[in-house]
Amino acid sequence: MDLRSEIKGLIVTELNLVGRDPSTIGDDAPLFGEGSLGLDSLDALQLAMSLEERFGVRVPEGEEARPVFRSVAALAEFVERARGAAAGGT
Amino acid sequence: MTARVVVTGVGLQTALGADVPSTWARLVRGERALGPVTLFDTEGFRARIGGEVRTPLAEGHKDDPSWSRTTAMAMAAAREAIEGAGLTRRPEAMRVGLVVGGTVGGMFETEDLLARFHSEPGAREVLARMLSHPLTATSDRLERDLGPFVRVRTLSSACSGGANALVVGATWLVLGLVDAVIAGASDALCRLTWSGFNALGAMDPEPCRPFDMRRRGLSLGEGAGFVVLERDQGARARGAAAIVELAGWAIGSEAHHVTNPEASGAVPARLFGEALARARLRPADVDYVNAHGTGTPLNDAMETRALATALGAELKRVPVSSTKGQLGHTLGAAGAIEAIVGALAIRDGVVPPTGGLETPDPACALRHVIGAGEACDVGVVVSNSFGFGGMDAVLVLTAPGRADAPRATKERRVVVTGVARASAELPGTRMLSAVESELDPARARRLDRPSRIATALSVRALGTASPLAPSGRAGIVLGSAFGSVDGSCAFMHRLFEKGPRLVSPADFPNLVPSGPVGHASIYLERRGPALAVADLGASGESAIAQGLELIQSGDADQIVAGAFEEASDIVDRVLIALFAAAHPSSAVRTEGAGVLVLEDEETARVAGTTVLARLESVTVGRGDRPSVRPPRNPSRARIVAAYADAAVANVVAGTPWEPVTRIGVGTTAGDHEALGAIAACVAVELLSKGDEVDEALVLCADPPRGYALLLTRP
Repeated sequence: MDLRSEIKGLIVTELNLVGRDPSTIGDDAPLFGEGSLGLDSLDALQLAMSLEERFGVRVPEGEEARPVFRSVAALAEFVERARGAAAGGT
Repeated sequence: MTARVVVTGVGLQTALGADVPSTWARLVRGERALGPVTLFDTEGFRARIGGEVRTPLAEGHKDDPSWSRTTAMAMAAAREAIEGAGLTRRPEAMRVGLVVGGTVGGMFETEDLLARFHSEPGAREVLARMLSHPLTATSDRLERDLGPFVRVRTLSSACSGGANALVVGATWLVLGLVDAVIAGASDALCRLTWSGFNALGAMDPEPCRPFDMRRRGLSLGEGAGFVVLERDQGARARGAAAIVELAGWAIGSEAHHVTNPEASGAVPARLFGEALARARLRPADVDYVNAHGTGTPLNDAMETRALATALGAELKRVPVSSTKGQLGHTLGAAGAIEAIVGALAIRDGVVPPTGGLETPDPACALRHVIGAGEACDVGVVVSNSFGFGGMDAVLVLTAPGRADAPRATKERRVVVTGVARASAELPGTRMLSAVESELDPARARRLDRPSRIATALSVRALGTASPLAPSGRAGIVLGSAFGSVDGSCAFMHRLFEKGPRLVSPADFPNLVPSGPVGHASIYLERRGPALAVADLGASGESAIAQGLELIQSGDADQIVAGAFEEASDIVDRVLIALFAAAHPSSAVRTEGAGVLVLEDEETARVAGTTVLARLESVTVGRGDRPSVRPPRNPSRARIVAAYADAAVANVVAGTPWEPVTRIGVGTTAGDHEALGAIAACVAVELLSKGDEVDEALVLCADPPRGYALLLTRP
């Protein structure tokens, strides 16, 4: 499974979005705020914790976290970069 | 029905001092007690500092496994309040009650057991002590050492629990149920709340700075605050001086979000106005506001908006401060501790500062008290307390006689307009998942299993009740003996196993005893009083009594009241370890829940709602037989109890209720601590369906907890 799909699955199970098909979440769709998936700050915290657990990365907090949590694509990009950095790749 | 309620004794144990004089002197000087926490390892947490109590704690009873830091601090504070009120030896005829608020109970001590349970799951001595610290443990210990009490209530509403304990005590006095009440709250630091607030990103790594530009969150603390409340005539008659009057109060819920406050502060502002109105005062009369002021960015900005709405043009004049920069946030104890701080401000004519506040945030434009306390005339204090789930309480304290005498309220009769119950009948089985599936999955996504059961049954019961709008008069009170045992264990195991960064922030608010009540109030959009109560096997009876009192005192028009108990692998294992040898079949518990909708009779009449039964009285025979009026016609009366056993027979032996047919619900409704609530549901069904029964007495089979609910055909 590609990283974006994996993150979508994580969003649905960790935030208990019952009945939501993960594949219907757009890669670039906003996760928070108006016209979004309708998540809030408590969801962001839960998601950050699950990303750390699943991918072994350290998710930034506060203002730094804002761009990372913009969309599934942004989250995937962050995870990829953080894993690469941890592996000493880039 | 009216009474002036006065405070005749106060007691504190906090991180600043072991009693009232030491805490108060240091608080006024602006001293801060926030330092490195030594009770447990804080390595890897966002914050490593807190308000830990370092003065010696009251010594425990060696043979009492229920003893805890929470109980020790409660004992010290309650003793100081009782001594101050001159009630160490009380007149024999004096009817004294006890109300204890709190959130964590003996969780700090349970965590040590959980850590061992984690490594040796079968250790019998660990299992044997695992359930020693329910919320009720503190009130039971206080009752043994400081009692007898005619009425005891243990309650939780997260961080407003301490304020609510005083409100419940005051309503008992107004309703004439007691002559004096020892009321207060206690909460010790523990790893569960530490890691929960850490996971929520709510803790400031530095000592917290309420209302400051640089504030980043709260600092946790621990402590206890207790008061003695009396009617002013009673206090005067025995020559006791009133320190202050508890002249007004209002409690309600935001019905917004389980952890985040609703940003406009509309509900706290409404409650502020209602509390002042009850005291017959106006914003122009307010001399000082003791803010909730946690130091989190969201709370302090919201509270400022609420105060701006409530105080209007007076906002610029009224000094506001928070004690949390000095004591830390003592969670369930905070509301009681802060009420005492308000009382001392009136007594001594000085308002304490906000510790840690240097540069006020423009979003918190208040008349701050910075550095040290300020001397000024203080006649009227308002104290705010807000809790998880949006459970808010506002208290108004005044100099004795400062407020006009409270308005007399007329007596209100309470009827039942809705009923719902569900249970698993066979040991080891779970309740029908159909109950949970009645909820809207999107709106219920944050609810854990106990919350789903409680909420779904409330929805069912409300189907026949009066629709209430605005919902500020509609509340909910639910009892549970043990709360989320398995959830708390799983949460702590994750902490032990994976460390602080991988603790689940979404699970944390479900684990406080008021979690299910908070979730239900949000789902059901009920903005009236919301409380969790606990009284072991009488938790349902306690909740129904609490609901009745809130309607009788005029604090609500409608209350969903009942109890839920979740089957728990851990509780089963504990019971098997403790009792299996003696009673192999009785060791496995099932689960169940029952709720009633209680309403003011007039509200039901105006709405044209069908009345199912009348809740004529709730009597409490703490340690004694409850005294209930005789049945009008024994052949058309029934006694309903968890089990129609010898204990129940004994309670009615030699009374006019002795010949009445006894019904036990325990065989068909499983075996769990919510059976009292289910018995009440069965009683309502007997009265509303068929025409053989006119009166039903719901009896608690546990005489030390001794409730008797008398329900009659409408």
